[in-house]
Amino acid sequence: MNRPLGVYFHIPFCRSKCAYCDFCSTAQWDDGMMDAYLAALIRQMDDFFIPGGKYPVDTVYLGGGTPSVFGGKRIARLLSALEKRASLTRSAEITVEVNPESADKALFRVLKKAGVNRISMGVQSSDDGQLRAIGRIHDFARAKEAAALCRDYCTDNLSLDLIYGLPGQDMESWLKSVDDICALEPKHISCYALKLEEGTPMYRADPPRADDDLQADMYLACIDRLAQRGYEQYEISNFALPGYRSRHNQKYWDLSEYLGFGCAAHSFYNGKRFSFVADLKEYLSGMEGKNPIVEESDELSYGNRVGEFVMLALRTTDGIDESAFHRRFGRDFEPFAKRLAPYAASGHAVCEGGRWRLTPKGFLVSNVIIGDVLEACDPQEGGMG
Amino acid sequence: MTDRSKIRNFSIIAHIDHGKSTLADRLLELTETVSQREMRSQLLDNMELEQERGITIKARAVTMYYKAQDGETYEMNLIDTPGHVDFNYEVSRSLAACEGAVLVVDSSQGVEAQTLANTYLALDANLEILPVFNKIDLPAADPQKAKQEVEDIIGLPAIDAPEISAKMGINIPAVLEDIVANVPAPGGDADAPLQALIFDSQYDPYLGVIVYYRIMQGTIRPGMKVRMMATGAEYEVLECGYLEPFGMRKAPELSAGEVGYFTASIKTVKDTQVGDTITEAARPTAEALPGYRPAQPMVFCGIYTEDGSKYPDLRDALEKLQLNDASLTFEPESSVALGFGFRCGFLGMLHMEIIQERLEREFDLDLITTLPSVIYEVDKSDGTTVRVDNPHNYPDPALIAEAREPYAKVSIISPPDYVGNIMPMCQERRGIFKDMQYLDTHLVELHYQMPLNEIIYDFFDALKARTKGYASLDYQISDYRVSDLVKVDMLLNGDQVDALSFIAHREKAYPRARRICEKLKENIPRQMFEVPIQAAIGGKVIARETVKALRKDVLAKCYGGDITRKKKLLEKQKEGKKKMRSLGTVQVPTEAFMAVLRLDEE
Repeated sequence: MNRPLGVYFHIPFCRSKCAYCDFCSTAQWDDGMMDAYLAALIRQMDDFFIPGGKYPVDTVYLGGGTPSVFGGKRIARLLSALEKRASLTRSAEITVEVNPESADKALFRVLKKAGVNRISMGVQSSDDGQLRAIGRIHDFARAKEAAALCRDYCTDNLSLDLIYGLPGQDMESWLKSVDDICALEPKHISCYALKLEEGTPMYRADPPRADDDLQADMYLACIDRLAQRGYEQYEISNFALPGYRSRHNQKYWDLSEYLGFGCAAHSFYNGKRFSFVADLKEYLSGMEGKNPIVEESDELSYGNRVGEFVMLALRTTDGIDESAFHRRFGRDFEPFAKRLAPYAASGHAVCEGGRWRLTPKGFLVSNVIIGDVLEACDPQEGGMG
Repeated sequence: MTDRSKIRNFSIIAHIDHGKSTLADRLLELTETVSQREMRSQLLDNMELEQERGITIKARAVTMYYKAQDGETYEMNLIDTPGHVDFNYEVSRSLAACEGAVLVVDSSQGVEAQTLANTYLALDANLEILPVFNKIDLPAADPQKAKQEVEDIIGLPAIDAPEISAKMGINIPAVLEDIVANVPAPGGDADAPLQALIFDSQYDPYLGVIVYYRIMQGTIRPGMKVRMMATGAEYEVLECGYLEPFGMRKAPELSAGEVGYFTASIKTVKDTQVGDTITEAARPTAEALPGYRPAQPMVFCGIYTEDGSKYPDLRDALEKLQLNDASLTFEPESSVALGFGFRCGFLGMLHMEIIQERLEREFDLDLITTLPSVIYEVDKSDGTTVRVDNPHNYPDPALIAEAREPYAKVSIISPPDYVGNIMPMCQERRGIFKDMQYLDTHLVELHYQMPLNEIIYDFFDALKARTKGYASLDYQISDYRVSDLVKVDMLLNGDQVDALSFIAHREKAYPRARRICEKLKENIPRQMFEVPIQAAIGGKVIARETVKALRKDVLAKCYGGDITRKKKLLEKQKEGKKKMRSLGTVQVPTEAFMAVLRLDEE
């Protein structure tokens, strides 16, 4: 029996494109295109899942884009297609991302029926001015309403996203957003720093917003506030009530296998990381055999895997247990620990009972710390590859 | 051997962009020294760098044959000259090899700064100066006005001077006729003991050093044992001859009045320094030609490679450059901050920049250089005296009895209008005013005594900027004077960064230290902890800045399992880290050193 897989579907459609978004998504679509895309996803599953093989799957995640724009019916068809080809475990976590403006009663009913048991909704802020500034097409009242509908017609296992460092956002309005979100009683909250990616309208506009120092303060304040409300941080940007951590996302951080279908989807399977082209049209024509669709493919050496594990596990509050590390990889954590030690002295990391993790202050500068710690990788083995 | 009366030795002098090189091209074409097909624009400047900077760095010479209207064929030796104050000495030696100079004036611009400066150098060398008015094809050309200016400002007769367009090839023969008619034929006696002036030399990997010279007296021929009178080096001439645009033409002998080359398997240009006199070892001339100055570096800086493992490449490159450049010196030094490198000596700032650029371009090295310094003399309380060309070696203040810095005699020639700009500038740089003389109503010469330290950083550029380019500068080290010097150390997070130390006059130390602190702050990225930047004299901090601790550097989201993105980011970060120098606990990008070095350019 194989270890169960995670499955990700990328749904690259949105009602409108947010000003900060650089993910693969388009607001120019019609039903024909969506049907073609659904067909392509199903065909791609056929390529992976051997007929009758029934590979066990214990997490499914529909991200985007905005899967709710794809429509409940297509989502239901997609999930039932998956069920035919793979074996969903009984307790499988099935998450669908929705946006407030496209989430209504009908959608939630269909999703529930299709087996969806977790909803992730992008709220981003409770300040309508800030929402407008980043090109969101819903206000906070709509988000509140959608959260209530979700609870009534689909599931109370709701995750909400927030962004800090928005234009016009100060510490006070940020903490108000945090409080307002908590009042909606989600089981899970993700808080991301606004990062302006090159090529986005907002990157070009470069509106005034919180500097790094204020963002750092916002982050630390948010961790405190959420802890007061019972939300435990379990990864750099993720918080949950006990028992409600996202199982799917945790697969990314502990080197579990997952398959991603659709354009721009990433997979880690059979020791290989690969991804598909991040362009919808190219993906669709590729699925008709007109062009290659694999964009990147990377076979991980053993050393790569150790490096990746360290990199990813240090993003989590569970961190790395020295003896578990030894059991899993057959080597000492000591060279890494040596590089972590100075960060423990400066309050960026802690080691408790042989378990290393970064503190919130450390998470904030985790790029530097992880980069430094990974230099302990044996270059002969390729380290990060 | 050519009849001396049929020889003309001349230079072309001009303000930058007035058309010196284009005229040289036309002369070579017209005398069929090169065919049009061979013609590369501006042939005489054959170093890539020279062409880009638009200045001639090393002198070259070429022999042309011109059949004049009088029916006679003349041997015309054109000697090119470099054009920057760092190379004034080299220019003066090139001019000393000539009897005349063609002064090219842009008809649309008239007399400009370098027109004057170069004219004065040529007058110093007692040359016949022949003005030529170029660019008459331009709509804005006003040769009559330009001629009037030359007569008024320089005092040269110009009314009948040729009006030409070197670019369009108009009236070029008139220039050659003018030279034939008005540049005196060289004097000298072919049978006298050999006396020849070296005006350049160049290293060739196959032939050894090629020496360029002008014979004043006597004859040179292969087999003759010659002696360089200043360096004392003796060699047997293997080959001699004339210089051509693309090489050399062997000749059985050259005699008084002629310009040419010889080779003698000479290993280093240090033996054949510009300005030295060549004579026959067996039958030496009674006295050397006047004006020789040994090549003496005046500005020093540390040169390091960004990649420490390239140190041997740097040494090889410097050795190669030195083969061709007697004024470049270097010796190994090491720095805690920068690793192994060399303390290099240069004639001046331009020379330093040229060498740095050549190292980077021709040898593909990425360099870090330290702040330039002059040589200081320090008497210690134990009675010994040390010469310090590296701030790192400056003695502890407690051990210093007296410190001295080099002063230079500075001469500035400028139109009187700018005296009001020049004087405060010199004063600000601790210049001591000596006198001011009107050369004529249009020109004034100012004399100052000024610390060399104040000249080397940006004085020349500042002078040009404040006189619209009209002023010319010459300086020569005169003496060492007692000075209130201090060594300023830069500290990062409490650790001294040896490569950033500098020596300055006490009054100048503070503003400079403050600017360096600011520059470092701008260029040092935030680290995991707060980094104080301090400038200190002895133990006393005189300036301070702080680089705040890094608070946020995180990839918040690994979207949809996109681990590759995160890995790429880390790779990029690792690449960036390679360009950092670890100074104690602080990571400093090489740009920070560069920025400090460029402090004076702003």
